[in-house]
Amino acid sequence: MSVVASSTSVKNVEEFEPLIVAFCCNWCSYAGADLAGTSRLNYPANIKIIRVPCSCRVNSNFVLRAFQRGADGVIVAGCHPGDCHYMTGNYYTRRRFSLLKNLLEYVGIEEARFKVDWISASEGNKFAYVMNDVLEKVHKLGPNRKLRDSRWKR
Amino acid sequence: MEKIREEIKEKARQALASKEVDVILAWEKGELWYDSYPAFFTKEKDIDSLVWDSFCVNNLSKYLLEYTMTDKKIGVFVKGCDALAFNQLVQDNRVSRDKVVLYGLPCSGMVDPDKVRTKNLNQGLTEIKKSKDKLIFITKDKEITVPAHEVYYDKCLHCRYPNPVTYDQLVGETVAAEGVLDDSVRFSGVKELEELSCEERFEYWDGQFSKCIRCFACRNVCPACSCKQCTFDDSDLEVLGKAREDSEDKFFHLIRAYHVAGRCIDCGECSRVCPQDISLEKLNRKLIKDINELYGEYQAGLDPSAKAPLGTYKLEDADSFTVGEKGGKKREKNSKR
Amino acid sequence: MKKIAKDKLSLLWKKIAENYQLFLPITEGKVVNFSIWEEGAEVDLNTLRTVNSPKNIIFPQTETYLKFKKEGKKLNLEVVANKGEYVVFGVRSCDVASFKLLDNVFLDEPIDKFYEESRKKGLIISQACLNPQETCFCNSFGINPELAPEGADISTWELGDLLFWEAQSEKGKNLTEALGDILEEVIEDEQEKLNQLKTGIKDRLKDLPLAQINPETIGGDLKEIFDSEIWDELHRRCLGCGMCTYVCPTCHCYDVKDYDGNKGGERFRCWDSCMFSDFTMMAHGNPRTTQKERVRQRFMHKLVYYTNNYKSYACVGCGRCTEKCPVSLDIVKVIKKLGGERNEL
Repeated sequence: MSVVASSTSVKNVEEFEPLIVAFCCNWCSYAGADLAGTSRLNYPANIKIIRVPCSCRVNSNFVLRAFQRGADGVIVAGCHPGDCHYMTGNYYTRRRFSLLKNLLEYVGIEEARFKVDWISASEGNKFAYVMNDVLEKVHKLGPNRKLRDSRWKR
Repeated sequence: MEKIREEIKEKARQALASKEVDVILAWEKGELWYDSYPAFFTKEKDIDSLVWDSFCVNNLSKYLLEYTMTDKKIGVFVKGCDALAFNQLVQDNRVSRDKVVLYGLPCSGMVDPDKVRTKNLNQGLTEIKKSKDKLIFITKDKEITVPAHEVYYDKCLHCRYPNPVTYDQLVGETVAAEGVLDDSVRFSGVKELEELSCEERFEYWDGQFSKCIRCFACRNVCPACSCKQCTFDDSDLEVLGKAREDSEDKFFHLIRAYHVAGRCIDCGECSRVCPQDISLEKLNRKLIKDINELYGEYQAGLDPSAKAPLGTYKLEDADSFTVGEKGGKKREKNSKR
Repeated sequence: MKKIAKDKLSLLWKKIAENYQLFLPITEGKVVNFSIWEEGAEVDLNTLRTVNSPKNIIFPQTETYLKFKKEGKKLNLEVVANKGEYVVFGVRSCDVASFKLLDNVFLDEPIDKFYEESRKKGLIISQACLNPQETCFCNSFGINPELAPEGADISTWELGDLLFWEAQSEKGKNLTEALGDILEEVIEDEQEKLNQLKTGIKDRLKDLPLAQINPETIGGDLKEIFDSEIWDELHRRCLGCGMCTYVCPTCHCYDVKDYDGNKGGERFRCWDSCMFSDFTMMAHGNPRTTQKERVRQRFMHKLVYYTNNYKSYACVGCGRCTEKCPVSLDIVKVIKKLGGERNEL
């Protein structure tokens, strides 16, 4: 898997620097981020990770609130279905966020801005890949203006 | 309807007299022709003012929430949609079935006062009578007969459950579900929007949401919104501010719709009460449609013992999230559950 | 008195809009509300009552007081720019009367500067009601929808293809003058017809179903009304939404909040509703913990507290709550219960 590095090299202040919030499950995806780090894989600093006990801890409010207050993209990452530390949590995640993702698309939010994926503790590569992939797509889309609170200052 | 009205009153009187119930939830008439509103009867003598006419649109099931903590026995009159709402409240553990006596009322539709006004039928109106599928508007000097469907609420036009799906006693005869709505009609508004481009969809919804004055009538009238304290009202959490700000309007509407996903009975009350005419039903129906397509047909409120679609899962649920070379394959190794 | 042919109204809008922000009743979907006029907007002068009252023009639902910004260790304050001059056309008598009721509150000491400024910059053009509706009961509050309402800068009447125009105040006269040739002088014959129109409206009011509503029938002093048992029954169907307060032209309670927007933010005021559970929330909690108390607060305010302070009722009989409340818990029923009906019990 190749790591997209081009978008991370954007350092020009004038240029749009996306802010991505990633909710990572403690047991898999967060450990996946760790692995990406210790394996010295490149993933952009624009990603702000919020550790959650399980991907099903992520309330739909959290996702919208992140968009309201500065995020240009939101990622929810959890264990692969079947691997949940709490046995069944991510099955609920899967249903909930399938619906939320469709709903956001339905009201005209670009599909690429909200990403859900399964990243296990051993998938450091995949972690870096997903983060870069989302960043690149969001970068192309430009700043999130549709859901951001107009009073919010970055 | 006029015939049944007496029967209803008799039922209510008997129920109060025999102490079968402590309170009866029904409707009463106000000053104006369209003005039928929820009423609570505890005394037999008050039953005289009980009314059942083409304007009893209010769903009484939600008022049961008030009685959840008391040991009172309550009699409630329910129409088709109200019965679905009742089941939903039972399913959500907010109302206990054994405290309630349900009197089922088959209902062929309720009249939208706005449509009557648009047709100018309210001028000098003294009485409205119903005969089969016609409504007769009687003034001092003339009678105008109108096909009922021309003045029914939009939400009633394609009612799929005109007869209560649950009841203890049924008053009157069941009616045929005439305009049964097939999914292509029911979801046509949603499909139209789905076919638009992302930007067009945004423009549409932005226009809708920005009309909102945040009166919360849609939430408060909703039988699926049964939380003791709504997350929007919790000022400590600061989930939602009070400013009219586009992003907060969107936040409110998306979360409201999402919170009732899988529990929305599609009664259309939210759209009915919205003073700004926001197409809330198109949000709710999008979620219903997606649930039906992804997790199988589901009608909230049909079966109080069913599992809510978002409160359960299947191992083989659709999974469209994952990308890349790894992952994405459904893992079958664990078959927990 | 002047007049203008109705088909020339768009010229009039255009002319006014050159110098003012012009608000007109404009149709959007099924709903008519006051919004800023632009060429091509669907103006609706026939609909008697807009869903939202025009109070949101002079007293907006959200109004920013000031903005603040953090720069290093300093907090910079920025006062929000003043709004420009504006004209509201097509305000009905009830709504014009509601402005006076808001004035009583906001222009009383200490004067609300934002409101005062907004009032000064606004020019109100009223429109007489040709066809009062079944939900109207402005007469019960001493409002005469056929006359030029006190508080309007210019009053207008529709008659056939014409719109009659009469300037009432200095501001109104100046605008009339500035409009020049667009407006023509009324001839005597037409004046006579206008008088007939006014009498006609007056007669129609008597036949309205709510014409007999009379707030004077409310008996008893504050404590008696407060303790009345009618509240026990009345509140029960209230859903606790804020629709009545938000569409009401005289409800004026607000909250002041800060928005923390990361590196900056703003202080704003926004409408609040006594129907909400967090209304007047204080450190110790909420003084009104049940819906009964909230419902009582709303109507006590309209019919008793306000009356004690300003010698007039805080209702103009516009009928918005009568029409819009999802469960018909409107002021008409409260007045009836507190008045005549209560004595029967």
